Amino acid sequence: MKTVFVNPERCVGCMQCQVACAVEHSQSKNLYQAVFEVPKPRPRIYVAPGLYLNTSFPNKCRHCDPAPCMEVCPTGAITRNADLDIVVIDGNKCITCAMCAMVCPFDVIRYYESATVKLDKTVAVKCDHCIDRQRQGKVPACVEVCKVNALVFGDPNEIAKSAAGRLAKLVSVATGAIHPELPRLPATFEAWRKWGEESGKVNER
Amino acid sequence: MSDTFEHLSSAKDAQKMIRYAHEEHIETVWDRLAAQEPQCGYCALGLSCRNCAMGPCRVDPFGDGPQRGVCGADADVIVARNLARSIAAGASAHSDHGRDILETLYQTATGETSAYKITDVDKLKRLAAEFGVEAEGKEPAELAREVAWEMMEEFGMRKEELTFAARAPKPRRELWEKLGIMPRGIDRENVEVLHRTHMGVDNDYVNILLHAVRTSLSDGWGGSMVATEVSDVLFGTPAPINSKANLGVLKADHVNIALHGHNPMLSDVMVRAAQDPALQDLARSKGAAGINLVGLCCTGNELQMRIGLPMAGNHLIQELVIMTGALEAMLVDYQCIMPSVVDVAKCFHTEIISTFDKARFTGATHIPFDPKRGIEIGQQIVRRAIENFPNRGPRVVIPDEPVDMMAGFSVEAIVGALGGTPKPLVDAIAAGHIRGAVGVVGCNNPKIKHDYGHTTLTRRLIENDILVVVTGCAAVADGKAGLMTPAAAEMAGPGLKAVCQALGIPPVLHMGSCVDNTRILVLAAALADYLGVDISALPLAGAAPEWYSEKAVSIGTYVVASGIYTVLGVQPAIFGSPNVVNLLAGGLNDVVGAAFAVEPDPEKAAVLIRRHIEGKRKGLGLPFVEPDTIVMPE
Repeated sequence: MKTVFVNPERCVGCMQCQVACAVEHSQSKNLYQAVFEVPKPRPRIYVAPGLYLNTSFPNKCRHCDPAPCMEVCPTGAITRNADLDIVVIDGNKCITCAMCAMVCPFDVIRYYESATVKLDKTVAVKCDHCIDRQRQGKVPACVEVCKVNALVFGDPNEIAKSAAGRLAKLVSVATGAIHPELPRLPATFEAWRKWGEESGKVNER
Repeated sequence: MSDTFEHLSSAKDAQKMIRYAHEEHIETVWDRLAAQEPQCGYCALGLSCRNCAMGPCRVDPFGDGPQRGVCGADADVIVARNLARSIAAGASAHSDHGRDILETLYQTATGETSAYKITDVDKLKRLAAEFGVEAEGKEPAELAREVAWEMMEEFGMRKEELTFAARAPKPRRELWEKLGIMPRGIDRENVEVLHRTHMGVDNDYVNILLHAVRTSLSDGWGGSMVATEVSDVLFGTPAPINSKANLGVLKADHVNIALHGHNPMLSDVMVRAAQDPALQDLARSKGAAGINLVGLCCTGNELQMRIGLPMAGNHLIQELVIMTGALEAMLVDYQCIMPSVVDVAKCFHTEIISTFDKARFTGATHIPFDPKRGIEIGQQIVRRAIENFPNRGPRVVIPDEPVDMMAGFSVEAIVGALGGTPKPLVDAIAAGHIRGAVGVVGCNNPKIKHDYGHTTLTRRLIENDILVVVTGCAAVADGKAGLMTPAAAEMAGPGLKAVCQALGIPPVLHMGSCVDNTRILVLAAALADYLGVDISALPLAGAAPEWYSEKAVSIGTYVVASGIYTVLGVQPAIFGSPNVVNLLAGGLNDVVGAAFAVEPDPEKAAVLIRRHIEGKRKGLGLPFVEPDTIVMPE
């Protein structure tokens, strides 16, 4: 099982994943044409700010198993693609009842007009894990566009393993015991984030 | 990735060197572009603003997220501010170059420089007349001092109108007056852009853009024109001259020195220093057959135009030329010099020598240029290069044989070739032998296959009897492609071919460096004045198929504002604002009589331009082809 794994500490809030997602789900798949399309292509990933400035989290469908949205959908519009383990919505079967949105633990189901739906109405829209791209052997568009590795694509066990290793090294660095030169987040980046936290605290006074 | 690298460049010399870079794991501009992709959509659309510390802000182009920055600026204002700042940066680069040359003219006139003289006294006298300086009974030095002194005020605030703006046709000047975009002072317009785009000043996108246009005019009819005209006075007005181009101009048995950048001041001195018999002897004593200077980019163009200096290549060649292993020194002045040249040079013996205090490169040798000690500095640099010759590695790769090309078509040279008047050209256009003229200009950009945009567009235009004038990287691309010899007339349509053969000129005329786009403005104004119309009535167009630089944004804008339709090959960062796009690609027609188009495919750009030219011919009552009948390729 592969998923889009989020490293929130690395997210810089550029929202490029949103733009890339909307372009990937446009008719033209081209940024400059997509902005003029009707209906407007919409992102299926949402970068929301964290508690303090300079923190953010890219929120998207986690393709739960069992998926509450799928369980409650009265028309069978939501199914699981068995090969790639992706929860997908068939907009043409959607009756826009919003049940899926109500039970979604992550609040990532929205209602928009879609170029792939014949009826002139809004339907439930969410991340499809870039199923078309995955079939072509590509990673999801949000992952490809993320230049800071806040979004990575892979097996969560593998990712967690390497992350755990990184954490252990960071702890070593923190204690100053072993290799002080081992990589941390860049100092300027940490300072940038620190400013966010400090200014937030000042404002809470 | 393909083994041939034909997808990255259409130039054979470049293809071979890119493959070499790939095999040797030397990072190039193409690798870095790949690492940057996909690039930020907000920035690409012009929707990010970092002008103040309430931000940075961005506007969601798809409508869900924020539609205004923290200050309240919407997409229109943010895109307009960013575009205006881009134009100001480009105009400032050209104008600061002009100022440096002008300062040198003044110092030469007062006898403070060791290497320069007043070369074109006739041009100096013509400039004196334009600037209201009495030339009668004055020595060239005295006249030059007075002209330079007056010209310095172009950069100031005492004028209501730039002196060179008087070169534009009367209806064009009246239009600029009416629109309130007559350029007043070069520095003034640029500073005003920075002021207006500060938060809370100009909050109307149309008003911001009008001033941005005025700023571009202060470049085209100001800073760049100063650079061109004063360079002609100091170094000579170009006349047709034979030269050669591509990486084959490097000589394996010579000390090779590349002159790279835009300002010809030091490079002009270098040419003389390299002729010094003592240095020639020194080179031979180190085992070299001689000293070979080659040009890169617009410094190369400046020297190729005046003395036929061989041209190694354009913008995207600057890293590849070092990889030949045959380059002892790369002398750089400023603009378009990638910081990466220092890194590439680390793999070879090449010494990168920076020369301007305002343009330093970490890791390079810095020898500050001073016009007052010009010749000594030139000799010092040539000596360093000679002494570096024995450090050359065993592997020298010179990938091609050079191609012949002709340069040197200043306006004076073109009018001279026509017999002293624009009449023969106007007659040929009126009769339809030549349908019109197009300036193919601008940079290289790794997003467009190197040189492919320039050469393909140029070929299609000359095939269809359209005279092409070129500057900058476009000139190098077309020269390397063999389009710039008199024999290339064979590649032109029958009408243009006959005219070129009668005059013994190429169908593609080299008009110089990127500041020399002002020569194109002067030529367009001369044609308009001859016919008694505005420039916008003429069957002319501009194209920048591979542009990358902020200078190109300024050039494109002053060309359009001067009344010439311009097709860009690369998207400017404006597509986040449909209002700005509609204005620049359409609405401007009703304002300045010309507009922009964006078309990355040079085959299609050629058709857009041909349709435009036939439309203008129709407007002038000349024989024309119905524009819509020209078929757009699929």
